[in-house]
Amino acid sequence: MAEAFAVDVEGVQKSFGGLRALDGVTMRIRPGEIYGLLGPNGAGKTTLIRAIVGLVAPESGTVTVLGRRMPDVDQLRNIGYMTQQAALYPGLSVEENVQFFAAIYGAEGGVTEAMQLVKLDERRKSVVATLSGGMRQRLSLACALVHKPKVLLLDEPTVGVDPQLRVELWEDFHRMADGGTTIIVSSHVMDEAERCQRLGLIQYGKLLAEGTPAEVRAQAGTNNLEEAFLRLAGRRDES
Amino acid sequence: MSARRVAAITRRLLQQFRRDRRTLALLFVAPIVILGLLGYLIRGSQSAPPVGIANEDQGPLGGVFASALEQSSSISASTIQASDGEARLKDGSLVAYIVFSPDFSQRAQAGTVAPEVHLEGSQPGTSSPVLQALQQALTSMAANAPGSGLHFEPGIQYLYGGPGFDTLDYFGAAFIGLVVFFLVFVITIVAFLNERSQGTLERLMASPLRRGEIVLGYMLGFTVLALIQSVEVLVFSLAVLNVHNQGNVLLIFGMEALMVLAAVNLGIFLSMFARTEFQAVQFIPLVIVPQVLLSGILFPVSTEPKPLQLVSDVLPLTYAVNGLRDVMIKGADLTWPSLQLDAGIVAGFGALVILAGVATLRRRIA
Repeated sequence: MAEAFAVDVEGVQKSFGGLRALDGVTMRIRPGEIYGLLGPNGAGKTTLIRAIVGLVAPESGTVTVLGRRMPDVDQLRNIGYMTQQAALYPGLSVEENVQFFAAIYGAEGGVTEAMQLVKLDERRKSVVATLSGGMRQRLSLACALVHKPKVLLLDEPTVGVDPQLRVELWEDFHRMADGGTTIIVSSHVMDEAERCQRLGLIQYGKLLAEGTPAEVRAQAGTNNLEEAFLRLAGRRDES
Repeated sequence: MSARRVAAITRRLLQQFRRDRRTLALLFVAPIVILGLLGYLIRGSQSAPPVGIANEDQGPLGGVFASALEQSSSISASTIQASDGEARLKDGSLVAYIVFSPDFSQRAQAGTVAPEVHLEGSQPGTSSPVLQALQQALTSMAANAPGSGLHFEPGIQYLYGGPGFDTLDYFGAAFIGLVVFFLVFVITIVAFLNERSQGTLERLMASPLRRGEIVLGYMLGFTVLALIQSVEVLVFSLAVLNVHNQGNVLLIFGMEALMVLAAVNLGIFLSMFARTEFQAVQFIPLVIVPQVLLSGILFPVSTEPKPLQLVSDVLPLTYAVNGLRDVMIKGADLTWPSLQLDAGIVAGFGALVILAGVATLRRRIA
């Protein structure tokens, strides 16, 4: 039953010109799960996330989020989306950016909590143009989760974030998942993949392997996730 | 449609501009500079071109003619030797010189008035005041020449304008509209494009915002700024430049507000067809220049070649300029069918581009 899954992607295909960005991807993610989409640049991670949020129209296949077929504008209030590029208004302050996205979702009460979560509450008056790359990334995350979405889509959320904050953010992701938030996080950093409950290895628009980090390593016959990815990707290249 | 979400977009837009001093300067300083420059150019210029007079006439008429020319306000006349004339034209110290030959009076009495007029000729704009002064002097001479017995007393009645009505009054009415339309269009198209290039539009599209809410929020934000700009332009034009106004100031403001709506939504609509700011700027010559040339700002539409008149008839600025001139120069009010038509077409164009903007703003990026 589709309702049992927070996100249900079924045979999704999408091409851009002659390039097949998604080639029959099927994946099912349970509520409260942290699912890692792992793959090199250009593998199709961002296209898949965009298809889930309804920004990309699949040529075939379906995407269902929380029991409703996408695209569905009303369902978007339950989804948080952090784009790969820290999409922010550079002329506004930290607080004004979060307030704006909070107002769009009707979640004005969550502004302070979101800024505290990403450790930017002391920089609330700083204009975005004066922030470092890592700070912008954190602010972008705050804007994505200010309305406490049930499904959080994070496209490479920790790029440019220092190691200490990265650890803290992952602790927060786990806390949110414990509270029932479903998190799909894309990354090409293998040590982050270990923090996910389940992984989907994606390359050339296809899902090469899926499972817990331990299961993926076992499938490839190695103890190292990076090595596992290279072996699984290599098998696909050979076939 | 959620008023809260629309208000969030409008508020954010105004917050952004509060810190963007360069754009604020473009909105509020540029119109004053453009209109002030236009006013100074037209009214502050030294309009009387220097003209040399060489009177070699052995009779009385050359002197009468020369003194009539010296009194003309169209030219700045000075006495020269006929032999210096050509050199003075070449060195640029004169735009023309007029020679009254030794037999000028004699030939005039025989029925031929034949002053020799030498024009520099490379600048048509400076030739016409010389010929105009010559005509006036001829009229004056005919009336004042001893024994002519002629009296010229034309009774001049103006339907619109008046003796003090000048080029700035004619152009000013149109420029008030043009400046607002141009600056608001440029700022809207670039601002909306920034939303796309910095990735925030993708984020908005992944939120519960409706397309209509985005367009309406933008429209309200820019309209607030543009209406403040319109008030500034209007006050400067009427109070500082003293541009002729025969009509109701609220009607001028109303026409400007309609143009603002059209400009904002045209900017939003066209930003959909540009991927970079550079591409957006390319719309300026495409959208603005034909309207400046063909909307009747510089040349009356009725004097254009027929095929161009057809183009003029579909440009919104043609109706806006016509409406502004009708109000300011002719004192038109809303009972005038021509003003109803002008305002209706500008409003209709605004509504059309709003719909086009909403229709082309795609939620899906692929």
